[in-house]
Amino acid sequence: MILYILIALMFFIGLYGMIAKKNIIKIIIGMNIVGYASNLLFVLLGYKWDGIAPILTEDMSFAYFLEKAVDPLPQALVLTSIVIDLAFVAFLAALAIRLFEKYGTFDIDKIRRLKG
Amino acid sequence: MKKKGMSEIVQSVAKMVFPFIVLYGISLILYGHITPGGGFAGGVILTGGFVLLVLAFGTDYAFRILPVNVAKALDSIGALGFLAVALLGFTGGAFFYNFLPKGHIFHLWSSGTIIISNIMIGLKVVAALFIAIAVISKARLIRTKDGFQYKQSGERKR
Amino acid sequence: MNHLITLTMAIYLGGAFLISLLWRENETVAGAAAISFVALSAITSVLLGIEVFTNGSILYFAGGWERPLGIALMLDPLSALFLIMTNVIALLVTIYSAVYMKKYTWTPYFYVLFLIMLAGMNGILISMDIFNIYVFLEVASVASFMLVAFGLRAEELEAAIKYTVMSFIATTMILFAIALIYGFTGTLNIARFMDASAGLTPVHLWFLAGLLLAGFALKAALVPFHSWLPDAHSMAPAPVSAVLSGMFVKVAGLYVIIRVTANIFTNLPQIRILLLLFGALSMVFGGLMAYGQKNIKRLYAYSTISQIGYCAVGLGIGGYLGSLGVLMHFVAHAFSKALLFLNIGAVEYVRGTVESDDLKGLNDTMPVTTLFGSTGMLGIAGVPPMGNFWSKLIIIIAAVKAGYTGIAVLCIVVAVITLGYFLKLQRTVYCNLTESPVKKEAPKTLLVPMGILAFMVFVSGVLLVPGIREHTLDKAVAVMENFSYVDITIGDNR
Repeated sequence: MILYILIALMFFIGLYGMIAKKNIIKIIIGMNIVGYASNLLFVLLGYKWDGIAPILTEDMSFAYFLEKAVDPLPQALVLTSIVIDLAFVAFLAALAIRLFEKYGTFDIDKIRRLKG
Repeated sequence: MKKKGMSEIVQSVAKMVFPFIVLYGISLILYGHITPGGGFAGGVILTGGFVLLVLAFGTDYAFRILPVNVAKALDSIGALGFLAVALLGFTGGAFFYNFLPKGHIFHLWSSGTIIISNIMIGLKVVAALFIAIAVISKARLIRTKDGFQYKQSGERKR
Repeated sequence: MNHLITLTMAIYLGGAFLISLLWRENETVAGAAAISFVALSAITSVLLGIEVFTNGSILYFAGGWERPLGIALMLDPLSALFLIMTNVIALLVTIYSAVYMKKYTWTPYFYVLFLIMLAGMNGILISMDIFNIYVFLEVASVASFMLVAFGLRAEELEAAIKYTVMSFIATTMILFAIALIYGFTGTLNIARFMDASAGLTPVHLWFLAGLLLAGFALKAALVPFHSWLPDAHSMAPAPVSAVLSGMFVKVAGLYVIIRVTANIFTNLPQIRILLLLFGALSMVFGGLMAYGQKNIKRLYAYSTISQIGYCAVGLGIGGYLGSLGVLMHFVAHAFSKALLFLNIGAVEYVRGTVESDDLKGLNDTMPVTTLFGSTGMLGIAGVPPMGNFWSKLIIIIAAVKAGYTGIAVLCIVVAVITLGYFLKLQRTVYCNLTESPVKKEAPKTLLVPMGILAFMVFVSGVLLVPGIREHTLDKAVAVMENFSYVDITIGDNR
């Protein structure tokens, strides 16, 4: 249970970074933390105490494997989600450079030409 | 002539370590279906090797090892190859069908199309990540009298 | 025949990467290639649609793995309707952008991103697995962020960063919901989750439904979550706006919300009240905000919020009439909003501005463009022969029958507001006389797709004619009313 609470805490720290901070780079870091929180939740949901990695080796009986191995599906899903986070971060980093070129600042409050 | 990049020590160590990083990445890609690892993990480690080169020797040296045009082509080839593996599954009756012989369990050739998919994913990840990092590391903002001007250093005019 | 289900998406992906591999430097060839790939995919989707509407849904398992192991792909009449609409509009928009995108640099990359976005949209429509929906949603979204920022002007970059950060919050909520769904029930398949959800407590269900609904409502830009849409849709290049406003919002938002409310959380009917609330807010807010806009693209973007509100209201009312109204409104609005954005794009192409103060007397200088624009405006405003009139009428009747009289009155009021802001636009932009009209019409390549769309807007009401309705919309409505893929026989036509 304590792990779930810690993940919730991590999520809210990331969310705080995204919402309260004005600097785009800090927002990107906040997004990363939020992404890691969701990834950790995924892995935790498929975890078994005293489990082993879900890889069958030659000296392992199949029954032992089924009993001990953790659920591999969440780990596969997390990999996909990491790739998506990577795409977000790469794109946002490039965007931040371009925004600095046009506005001369990373402050999200000063990047405000669109309104209405 | 002033050398580009970091100090001599960093450069020598980077030169020594780089082949091992590449080998480790390739082995992770190739054995992704029977041990931990796979196309993405191996690809990221391979990219890590190239990033080490970028940091130690500067972007120009890294671009001589892996030119941007080659990286761009590899990126598309990886994606197209993965798609081709999926489409060739139609010969066996379904999208993504594992149409190759399965081989023996616990050996390198034990998974049919999975190993090809892993290689293709590895190519795609290496190329795409390398391009992303290279583009960001070559981006320069030059201060002009009215603000900033974005420039890719060393960019050819189109 | 069933294999075609994967091809619509595969053609787009293959096309995108072939363009980036071979024709990265050559605009003309890249444009021609993009048009042919989209045309191929459109033909495939129409064939698939005919198959689905005549012989029933297609269920397909990737890799030949049977259930429960395989990743299910499914095309039922509901998704087939969205699939055909997406690809037909995409074809027209691609033809349009072959000329329009000439003023931008690096056009081949535009086609690459555009095709990847379409691949993601098609992927959402064929997936029956909620994690696959998430992945394809992200594929489409990331491509759309880059397309919004494609022009690299300051305002476009600002719109893109707002859109990206808001989208990230939405997709994180969706990812959390998916993780919890997997943790609670051990499955990610929509149909299997439907069965497994009977064992969950209402608290769990509400939590999951809340997360999913908030995430997808942000994608659909329902009102408390709308703030990114006016910026993103008004700043993107016109063809991108047309696809984003015409289809993307509906595929990534509305379609998945339909799946969530009507197919996943069937034993939580209270969720519809929330949709009714969001929808009513969106209708009124979008309509009122649109009234004061000077930038015409921004006006159209607010109008999209308002019209998506109608769809959400219809979905919230539910029942046969409500569902029919949603689908009809979706079809009619997709055509007319795509037409309007292409239209303003043509005006921008010729005159170089989209501010309503700078544009006068378009009726004299660009008569054909004006004709098509008026058709689109009258279509969205809901003037009788057009499809939107019938869909709004059906939603209003459904509201009255279900006892929501206030909502019905609100729908009528917002319809009047809609007509109001379009008439204002007509007066200031189209009919304001210029002293010396010089005819300067948009190029024919821009006019032809608009003409086809205008024709579609005019005749889209035909889907409601008895005889046609039974074979198209009624089948999709049946999916919304009771869905289970146990009924679909598998193994006989694979």
